[in-house]
Amino acid sequence: MSDIRLGMLIDLSRCVGCNACAVACKQENGVPLGKFNTWIESWDVVDGSGRVRRANLPRLCNHCTDAPCVDVCPTGASFHAEDGTVQIDPDKCIGCKYCMAACPYSMRWCDDETGIVGKCTFCHTRTANGMDPACVNTCISSARIFGDLNDPDSEIAKRVAAGGDEVLLAELNLRPHVSYRGLEETQAMEAASAKHKGGNVYEPYEGR
Amino acid sequence: MVWDAIIAAYLFLAGVGAGSFAFAALAGWRAPEARKVKMAGMVIGLVAVALGTVMLIFDAKAGFQDPLKFLLLLSNFGSVMTWGVVILSVFLVVAFVEILLYWRTGKTPRALDWVGIVLALCVATYTGVLLGVCPSYPLWNLPLLPILFVVSATATGFAAAELAGYALDRAGLEKAELPAVVGIALPVVEMAVAAVLLLVTANAGGVSAAAGAATVAGLVGGAWAPAFWGLFIVVGLAAPLAIALAARARKQGASALSALGWACVLIGGFTLRYLVVLAAVPIVAY
Repeated sequence: MSDIRLGMLIDLSRCVGCNACAVACKQENGVPLGKFNTWIESWDVVDGSGRVRRANLPRLCNHCTDAPCVDVCPTGASFHAEDGTVQIDPDKCIGCKYCMAACPYSMRWCDDETGIVGKCTFCHTRTANGMDPACVNTCISSARIFGDLNDPDSEIAKRVAAGGDEVLLAELNLRPHVSYRGLEETQAMEAASAKHKGGNVYEPYEGR
Repeated sequence: MVWDAIIAAYLFLAGVGAGSFAFAALAGWRAPEARKVKMAGMVIGLVAVALGTVMLIFDAKAGFQDPLKFLLLLSNFGSVMTWGVVILSVFLVVAFVEILLYWRTGKTPRALDWVGIVLALCVATYTGVLLGVCPSYPLWNLPLLPILFVVSATATGFAAAELAGYALDRAGLEKAELPAVVGIALPVVEMAVAAVLLLVTANAGGVSAAAGAATVAGLVGGAWAPAFWGLFIVVGLAAPLAIALAARARKQGASALSALGWACVLIGGFTLRYLVVLAAVPIVAY
């Protein structure tokens, strides 16, 4: 392991759910039709003051430190890269989909044509050349903060050091490299609509 | 859903093969003269597991299109699938050697029978552990799912071997047949383990709570209920149990009714694998 540990912090109070990240990711990575490396889950919530507003939760591979996908991969195609990210070597993937079954975040997809599994790489081709991932670059409200968690001078390290960042499914203790601001607050608000994933109903609304 | 009916069929066939081979070994010890029964059980063991393995290869599309990639299957010994590759391979070799020896010499070494039985148990157990290590599906519980799969593998494998024995050599099967209590105990134990699994899943806590409750609701009262109650509980467990009890009460050996019961066990066993793979609801990350 080298000293770099790439991570992303998403400030939910800044995300407006425009889906520019999802589009930029599609373009950058050539993700097949119907598959997504990142998306935004959107639903209406009733906030504390009784007003209805929109909650947005960007999702992507969490690049877990203790990644179930890497543990179960029988061929070593899923692996931890030097920069702390979880990557897939397509030349080793046999398409058994065991990683997809193991991922508690359901962030992996299988290419219908090739059978090879894909997911967010934190735009490995870009980060290897000193650039930010496409979703980070394109975000209109700078909701996604990206950088080296091990570099105390990076913005993300400073924000994380300031405290208050939360992770999805913290109970599983997989130590993901993706964290959020305002997650608990968002999740605690009463849902008032179906949940949408990129405009499609992801979870129907059963209230009222 | 990540996996579909192909994987369900594989899990079913692996269980049938493991159980059938174990039945053949036991039958050979109980009644060495029932040669056709033993041979049929061993052949079903080999063919079912081999067929299941072929289905696995077929389902792994990226490997199927570039078979040299399958050589990489031994690179991560932390993966339960890698253990599975080893277990399946060794089982197939041992089953093949047993059949060859039985065919050429008319007998099999008792020690190798034992090796085959232990490997069969490993095959059946591993199919449950394979799913059990995934944290994403509350239904795929460790250690309950492997226990359920082992019981079902025993029931379905015995049923397949008994069906074949019944068709090929009824007199031999009468001699080699296990005590009637086995046919009664297996569905009872399977029902109990399934009930515990569903109770544990329905009452899963924390991040698994919603998905666990949704899984059980879907099985007992939702879209999967007809298959669950009709094919798994009634056809797969209750009917074979009733038939086994009736046969015991009448002190009757294998009959056409018993054969019907064994066919029911096979239907129930496939339904179980199908439901476990397809009706399991994944946890959601919010």
